[in-house]
Amino acid sequence: MAELTQERSAPRGPGFVRRLVASQETGLVIVVTLLTITLIALAGSHLDRRTGLEVNNFWNPNTLVQTLTDASFFAIMAIGATMVIISGGIDLSVGSIYALAGVTMALVLRAMGPMGPGATAVVGIVVCVGIGLLCGLINGILVVGLRVHPFIITLGSMWVLRGIAFVISKAESILVPPSLTDVAKAPLGLGGGLYPVPMLVMIVLTIIGAIYLTRTVMGRHIFAFGGNLEASRFAGLSLGLIQIGVFAVSGLTAGISAFLGASFYGSASSGDAQGYELYVIASAVVGGASLIGGKGSAVGAMLGALLIVLIRQSIRTLHFDQNYEWIVIGCAIIIAVVIDQWSTRMAARRLTKAAESARAAA
Amino acid sequence: MIARRGRWSSVVLSALCFAALACSGGGESKTAATGDSAKAGAGGAAGKAIKIAMIAKSSDNPVFLAARTGAEAAAKELSAKSGTTVEVEWLTPAKEDGEVQAQRVRQAMNEGVDAILISCSDAGKVTGAINDAVDRGVTVMTFDSDAPQSKRFAFYGVDDAKAGQQTMAELAKLLNGKGNVAILAGNQNAPNLQKRVQGAKTEAAKYPGIKIVGVFNHIETPQDASAEVIRVNNAYPEITGWAFIGGWPLFATSLLSELNPAKQKVASVDAIPVELPYIEKGVVPVLLAQSVYLWGDVGVRTIFDKIHDNKSPANAVMPMELVRVSKENLGDWARQLKSWGFTDVDPKYLALPAASGAPATAAPAAGQ
Repeated sequence: MAELTQERSAPRGPGFVRRLVASQETGLVIVVTLLTITLIALAGSHLDRRTGLEVNNFWNPNTLVQTLTDASFFAIMAIGATMVIISGGIDLSVGSIYALAGVTMALVLRAMGPMGPGATAVVGIVVCVGIGLLCGLINGILVVGLRVHPFIITLGSMWVLRGIAFVISKAESILVPPSLTDVAKAPLGLGGGLYPVPMLVMIVLTIIGAIYLTRTVMGRHIFAFGGNLEASRFAGLSLGLIQIGVFAVSGLTAGISAFLGASFYGSASSGDAQGYELYVIASAVVGGASLIGGKGSAVGAMLGALLIVLIRQSIRTLHFDQNYEWIVIGCAIIIAVVIDQWSTRMAARRLTKAAESARAAA
Repeated sequence: MIARRGRWSSVVLSALCFAALACSGGGESKTAATGDSAKAGAGGAAGKAIKIAMIAKSSDNPVFLAARTGAEAAAKELSAKSGTTVEVEWLTPAKEDGEVQAQRVRQAMNEGVDAILISCSDAGKVTGAINDAVDRGVTVMTFDSDAPQSKRFAFYGVDDAKAGQQTMAELAKLLNGKGNVAILAGNQNAPNLQKRVQGAKTEAAKYPGIKIVGVFNHIETPQDASAEVIRVNNAYPEITGWAFIGGWPLFATSLLSELNPAKQKVASVDAIPVELPYIEKGVVPVLLAQSVYLWGDVGVRTIFDKIHDNKSPANAVMPMELVRVSKENLGDWARQLKSWGFTDVDPKYLALPAASGAPATAAPAAGQ
């Protein structure tokens, strides 16, 4: 519940500035900025074939948009997964939902035959979002109905959903109509091989996620649920509905990400997004979400995904041995969690001391 | 108050990440710099250099490491001969993932490489990225697994359907045209492996005495593949023959004791050094070798011809023939592997006498 203060609407004046400086998102922004500056300084340069100009290997529009695009597929899923984590649960099935939603969309579009670009996009997004939502709801209902830990339910559904994707696709990589790719890769007036749509969707969904978590009653119920279950029960909250809701949102964001991913890359297969659930959870955790619940934010999830992708990008841009990628990301996650736990303990100690001082003074 | 938690945690995290990155940089350089080309990544403007990004399917598969060796050796030789520095940058994902490959293609393009040499995990996923790269003036060639709908200018690799057929034909010969056969098929999503399976089935249909018990997929690691073979053998004791359309289980030694050549015959694609004991002991009498080193060697030479001399191959699809390796030419093949830079060839195979007819391992000319 304490984190409600962190997520609450920002007051104006010096308090707002203090809170801004103190927030974990600010820390992440600093990290991302430092990493970006380092990359700009060390990346080197090359001659752009189209313009004949010398361009920085990292600080150029194509690489920046590419980095944000790479992050967007994880980040969108991480926003939903963060809500599950805030509620004290975990969703291991997001990668499988991504694969199933993408494959189903591709099969439906193939079965429907040629359509106009608008109709193709509408059918595609409806199928993907629908499948994602349905899978999320099933996860939530199973968790609540069977009273089994989300880890077990989503571990099972991770295999089941990928298995369904495999069976219905017959292990085929199914091409999506080019008009759908045109939507995901719409230049929106930028040109020059820049495709900003996934990045923009990520930003919009992050804003929506942040508003949902910080400015709506439903969002605050999630923090309450994850922060103190007993208190939430006594407060009369609909615990089952909250839990089903977070899994539904997680499935929904996986569906949206699947639509973007399949459309952007031009095909869908049952092997898509294998292992992505770990990147998604890592994004949420690096972004400040606590696995014991009650803490996290949509902005943090997005920044966490961006940081992980930036670390991957930096390994390549700086020509480090890419075989170290998993080691670096693994270390980053462990360090983030350890530091977070340490700072939590320190904060609790400070609270206790303050309370004791107040009692002594009284 | 709680809001203050972790205020500087991310900053500390950043510092530690940088430290880890710095440590990783202490390892090998990712640019196979040739000659004086170590400038890459630190301001290497184009100049008189050809920079090739090599993107294989996965960096934990020994066949792709051999291809990398071939590419780097060809780059070194071409640099010395032509005076134009040729660099090979290894951008292969750790595990197979078409989306990650597409990301690597874009990254290479954005960093100004001149060419990309790629084996596609999922043609559908990388076709768009390849086309974008070609549109921006990057020369793209595929090897091993093609993206036929893309704008790549050439492909070098085996005909997968034919490879499947050849494997089954060899097995049928070992079984005298009669038996219960299983097909070991690797990753079910890989289009080239699907074609090999189809080829094997087509060939099996020519033999009325051959019955296919099943097609078995698995994670493409030696351990998983070996475990799958053992599992299937226990579940289907009637199996008398295996067609391995990839050599995964033979990249480990466990099946040397698990397979009984008196009861089961095996024919397999691939013949890297670790597989040679299987031929020697008769456990796998025939291996159909892909000249994996040549994926890189021919790929780099073909790209060099295209960029340096503006010369394209006569046919966009450059077929690689499989080399039949058995006890008869084991020594020749071992020596061939050694000459390609494999360091783990057992000396006892190198000492074997030459076969009367040397294996056909010569690289096709780029213009072929």
